[in-house]
Amino acid sequence: MSLIRALSKDLEARSDDSLRALFAARPDLMSPAAPDFAALAARASARVSVQRAMERLNKPEMQVLEALHLCTNPDTGHGISAAGLKKVIAGATLTALDGILHRLEDLALIQRCEPPAGTPPAPKQRFYLPVGSLKDVVGIYPAGLGRSYTELVRLQPAFAQRAVQLVTELRHSGASVPEAATPMDAALALQRWTSAPKALEGILAKAPERTRALLDKFGSWAMGAVPQAQRMASIANEGPDVGPIDWLLARGLLVPLDASHVELPHSVGLALRGGMIVDHFTVHAPRPELGLTSALLRRNAALGAIAEALRLLAELLAAAREQPLATLRSGGVGVRELKRLADRLRVDMREAGLFLEIAALAGLLRLDVDSSTWVQPAGLEWISLPRQEQWLWVVNAWLASERAPSLVGQAVSASAGHQGRPSSAGTTINALSAEAQRPDAPLIRRRVLEILHELTEEASAPDGRAPVLDARSVLERAEWSQPRMARRFSSLVPGILREAELLGLIGSGALTQLGAAVAVEQPERALDILGEHLPAAVNHVLLQADLTAVAPGYLSPGLGERLALLADAEGQGPATIYRFSEGSIRRALDAGQDAASILQFLREHSATEVPQPLEYLVQDTASRHGRLRVASSASFIQSDDETAIAELLQESGTASLGLVRLAPTVLTSAASPRETARVLRELGLSPTVQEAEPAVVRYKRTTAVPGSARPVYSAPRSAPAEDDVEAQLAVLRQRPAGPPATSGEAAAQLGLEALERAIRLKQAVTMNVVDGQGNSATETVVPVSVSGGRVRVFDPARDTERVLSIHRIVDVEPAAGQVAGHAHKQGT
Amino acid sequence: MSDGPLIVQSDKTILLEVDHELATEARHAIAAFAELERAPEHVHSYRLTPLGLWNARAAGLDAEKVLDTLLRYSRFPVPHSLLVDIEETMSRYGRLRLEKDPQHGLVMRTDDYPVLEEVIRAKKIAPLLGPRIDGETVVVHSSQRGQLKQLLLKLGWPADDRAGYVDGTPHLIHLNEDGWQLRPYQKLATENFWAGGSGVVVLPCGAGKTIVGAAAMATGCTTTLILVTNTVSARQWKDELLKRTSLTEDEIGEYSGSVKEVRPVTIATYQVLTTRRGGIYPHLELVDGHDWGLIIYDEVHLLPAPIFRMTADLQARRRLGLTATLVREDGREGEVFSLIGPKRYDAPWKDIEAQGYIAPADCVEVRVDLPRDERVAYAMAEDADKYRLCSTSETKTALVEQLVAAHPGEQLLVIGQYIDQLDEIGARLNAPVIKGETSVRMRQKLFDAFRAGEIQTLVVSKVANFSIDLPEASVAIQVSGSFGSRQEEAQRLGRLLRPKKDGRAARFYALVARDTLDQEFAAKRQRFLAEQGYAYRIMDAKDAGAAE
Repeated sequence: MSLIRALSKDLEARSDDSLRALFAARPDLMSPAAPDFAALAARASARVSVQRAMERLNKPEMQVLEALHLCTNPDTGHGISAAGLKKVIAGATLTALDGILHRLEDLALIQRCEPPAGTPPAPKQRFYLPVGSLKDVVGIYPAGLGRSYTELVRLQPAFAQRAVQLVTELRHSGASVPEAATPMDAALALQRWTSAPKALEGILAKAPERTRALLDKFGSWAMGAVPQAQRMASIANEGPDVGPIDWLLARGLLVPLDASHVELPHSVGLALRGGMIVDHFTVHAPRPELGLTSALLRRNAALGAIAEALRLLAELLAAAREQPLATLRSGGVGVRELKRLADRLRVDMREAGLFLEIAALAGLLRLDVDSSTWVQPAGLEWISLPRQEQWLWVVNAWLASERAPSLVGQAVSASAGHQGRPSSAGTTINALSAEAQRPDAPLIRRRVLEILHELTEEASAPDGRAPVLDARSVLERAEWSQPRMARRFSSLVPGILREAELLGLIGSGALTQLGAAVAVEQPERALDILGEHLPAAVNHVLLQADLTAVAPGYLSPGLGERLALLADAEGQGPATIYRFSEGSIRRALDAGQDAASILQFLREHSATEVPQPLEYLVQDTASRHGRLRVASSASFIQSDDETAIAELLQESGTASLGLVRLAPTVLTSAASPRETARVLRELGLSPTVQEAEPAVVRYKRTTAVPGSARPVYSAPRSAPAEDDVEAQLAVLRQRPAGPPATSGEAAAQLGLEALERAIRLKQAVTMNVVDGQGNSATETVVPVSVSGGRVRVFDPARDTERVLSIHRIVDVEPAAGQVAGHAHKQGT
Repeated sequence: MSDGPLIVQSDKTILLEVDHELATEARHAIAAFAELERAPEHVHSYRLTPLGLWNARAAGLDAEKVLDTLLRYSRFPVPHSLLVDIEETMSRYGRLRLEKDPQHGLVMRTDDYPVLEEVIRAKKIAPLLGPRIDGETVVVHSSQRGQLKQLLLKLGWPADDRAGYVDGTPHLIHLNEDGWQLRPYQKLATENFWAGGSGVVVLPCGAGKTIVGAAAMATGCTTTLILVTNTVSARQWKDELLKRTSLTEDEIGEYSGSVKEVRPVTIATYQVLTTRRGGIYPHLELVDGHDWGLIIYDEVHLLPAPIFRMTADLQARRRLGLTATLVREDGREGEVFSLIGPKRYDAPWKDIEAQGYIAPADCVEVRVDLPRDERVAYAMAEDADKYRLCSTSETKTALVEQLVAAHPGEQLLVIGQYIDQLDEIGARLNAPVIKGETSVRMRQKLFDAFRAGEIQTLVVSKVANFSIDLPEASVAIQVSGSFGSRQEEAQRLGRLLRPKKDGRAARFYALVARDTLDQEFAAKRQRFLAEQGYAYRIMDAKDAGAAE
């Protein structure tokens, strides 16, 4: 019976609870809802779905699954039991294996099968097979073991050519290798020669020193990089000082793949592991040795970081309001612009880049399409929120964001998973550029938080001390809990930890109370903690005679903004020092304030008296402000005749021009020169017009602002909503078990399964194919390969090869040994 | 978080709110490792520097205590990176130790092998070292102790100097405390210095630094070399020592341009030591040719470069630096600390004033408007002449007359930079002028007359900046300053700070021409005093004349 059909039956027989658990673990199976069990089974066997399910497996589960894959043959229906697996997994117990096999079965990654014929009947013994597509997903080196000699001979023509000679040489050197005439025979001979651990031990006893150490490097992965892998190594011209690589290559214990890679064949690898597929079975997660840090330090660091982060974000927005951040033509904010921002915030470029990214991902900055600059959206709600809510806003946005802020400033090539431009060697990732986009960032962030929480729970001491977690311990745990995801983790985790530290989720290297609250998805609790501990905003400053104002803490935003206009901020930290100078006072005067209002403001907000020198500075600067005045007018009228000018001012006909007399001989007009001249001409005067270039007036399109931009975070879907699961169950259960493969979805998957099986077994199939006009025809062919939506077939009737599109194939059935076309069956 | 008086900033400064109830406690706690940078009226600021942290380690404070202090008194969370940085910095101190080895003499030892390897590979350090004894020990040429310590400091691996000091030739000295007593801060400063071995004591002018020197000598009871800036000041040291200690005329020698006496206590001027003949310093022998147990550097902020080099070779002798303003315009404060020793005592001027040991001072900046013709001349002048033009404006001369008239019966100094201007003012006020060309005897005579009250007004150039005891001057008028020199301004104010008999406040006028370089430089000069809490009132010339 087809594996998919078997799985379909198995799923149908499961209890609702078991199905619920399946949907929770593999939510992709029910999106969109599966119409029936056949479709569900087809989906569960689909390559993408199996891949996703495997990403969630932990290390022992993967080890069992890989061992199971290596010990079974779905084509022949040869399964394996827990007892069988125990023999190939070192250190495994039956209980542990049973538990893992159950879980894998629940996940529909493996399914029950009949015990092999001739096995003595044991009531508790259950045999399993992996789902059909596992072999495509499990990778080229399951369990880190290489391919067999026979496969290598088939796939590596260079090795195939050499295999026979190699065996001959081995025989000459006295090794007990059977004679071989064809490459396939040679492969089998080599396989037999190496497969017993004891025998290999004997072979290696004569190897040059360091050979063992070299082979150990292949312990977890069968492929290795070796310079000049295709060198001519042969036993015949081997000297006494032969190197280990030459020695191994000459005996076929390593097989060259290309110019720089070699592979350790399956039988050699297996023998090195003492015949075990898995030699280090890790049922329990590794427990890293962690230092501890006190609760006081942790909280201090977190609150300090949060206050600092919010302050810098607010300053960043102020900077963007002053001068929006320009983008490069290639996207992102360039180094020069970032440097300007860093100088303005008084932080280094790296930190400036991080905060810029965070501001943008939180929606505090938005790309203005017209000007290609990053600006603060109009009416940004964030600014006026209490600080704890500002924090939550940013944290939520960060959790959900597909950006990886810490990648900014790193070399483009170093960022895994991205195709750098060819010329980009040595260039770095710009802030807000597409290179820092990582679609899996939210998922990994979530998982990192979970791991941090796990590790903290495991190791925290009773006196409130918590473990210091570094990237290494997190990666180690991630590698155990999701080995298939390890590579994706390794590039992002250090950055995520750093960002979490900036946001106060990690303090002093340990997960903080806030971080724990976020990790278990209780943001309200974090808000409460923060509301309690964040110091309230101050609304006064201390004015000093050295012309400084010290804000002893976080200044309420309005006050801070006005002070920043009056004086220049200095220093970095919870308090801000503002220094008054002639220049800064002038700036305030330019903005329309006067001495009285400035002093009034200072008196209102100073906890102390306004010092005399400051008062003097304000008044002195104000008294001299405006010696030169700049104003705008559209045109001017000049005449040497002062009386003419005076008359003009009196004339009622010029009222529309808005004339102002600047000097006895000069008037300004609010109207354009042309218009002014027209009015003057109407009055019977004859002015000359000196028209300069008209001022360019540009109207800017204003982009509509969407409603509230407040991010609402929901954890990346680890489980589907309950309602959806129930709806899916209802759909599945209401439909009585109809004829199998009723839905198109299941049919396609079943068809593919049948095709692939036929390809492996080199069997003929009978298929119902629709042509371009919609006419269907039944043909019996031998499929050769499937890829890219097409199937290549050999047509024995016409003795040619053809390519068919898979979507044209309606139905596939094994031809049941009948190669010549008869007894055709009509498909649905 | 607690409601403490400190705010720890991530830029490595610490703000101390002075009016907080725990301020004094916190100040004492952080003074051990942070350096006071500014002390205006409400919020003082301290800075954390590697040097300060290492000095704290040398004084026996460890990182844990420092962190604990910061966390205890801080009002807000302390930036975590700063805590990490402090721990890291302090852990670098003492990885290398200078020790006396009975067999090899001075050696450098370490428990941290890689550090020693790194250090002995440094190009500049290699020549200072002798043979390697074992993996962790290397011989040091004893004459290079100071040099080595300084270079190690620059490399960031400060050495823990455990080699100790030579005692010097013993000589009995004790204080004559009749009719006066060591003030508490003087006592504390002396104790701090002696406990630390070597170092700098910073006290405001008029707060009795000479007495700290005398007390140190009395503690050590050893032959002492005192280095001072000039002959007048040498005489004053001598007088003071005769008055305050058991030393007699015969025991104190003067070593200057005119007299070359070497006695158990010898007072030498920097000038004579740095006199150079034929490429060598003939008088340097005074320093290393005798077995001094203590060397006192007066006005250490003026220490000339050759003395720096010489001091490097004197690391085995106790060194005491005295100053009012450890601001060097050449930025070599760090070298003072590493060669003479860390700051052992420092008090904001205003604190000493509050205790009544120095007179309160009222600083007034009077702004004069240049008359039209001078403004035009100023606007058209070459850059090099501009400062002279604006600071010697004739409106200032007229204003000086007005101000002098406003303080009848008070001892008054007029201080300036440009001799022509001073001569003119002297003539207008009918007062004697002391300048560079005035002989030492003449100076001494005029100062005595001024002290006695026979002369009420004295016009002085910058020769009177340092170490001249003018007890009763209560008003000073600065008509021109030497560009932006902060320490000069402080020294000039210092002239007024000796406490007055009637407890009067001193008055310091700085005359400044508005909208010119003069105003800019004045602002620079005033920064040190403003940071010490001396706020300048600013007045217009017309108000100043009328108000007084």
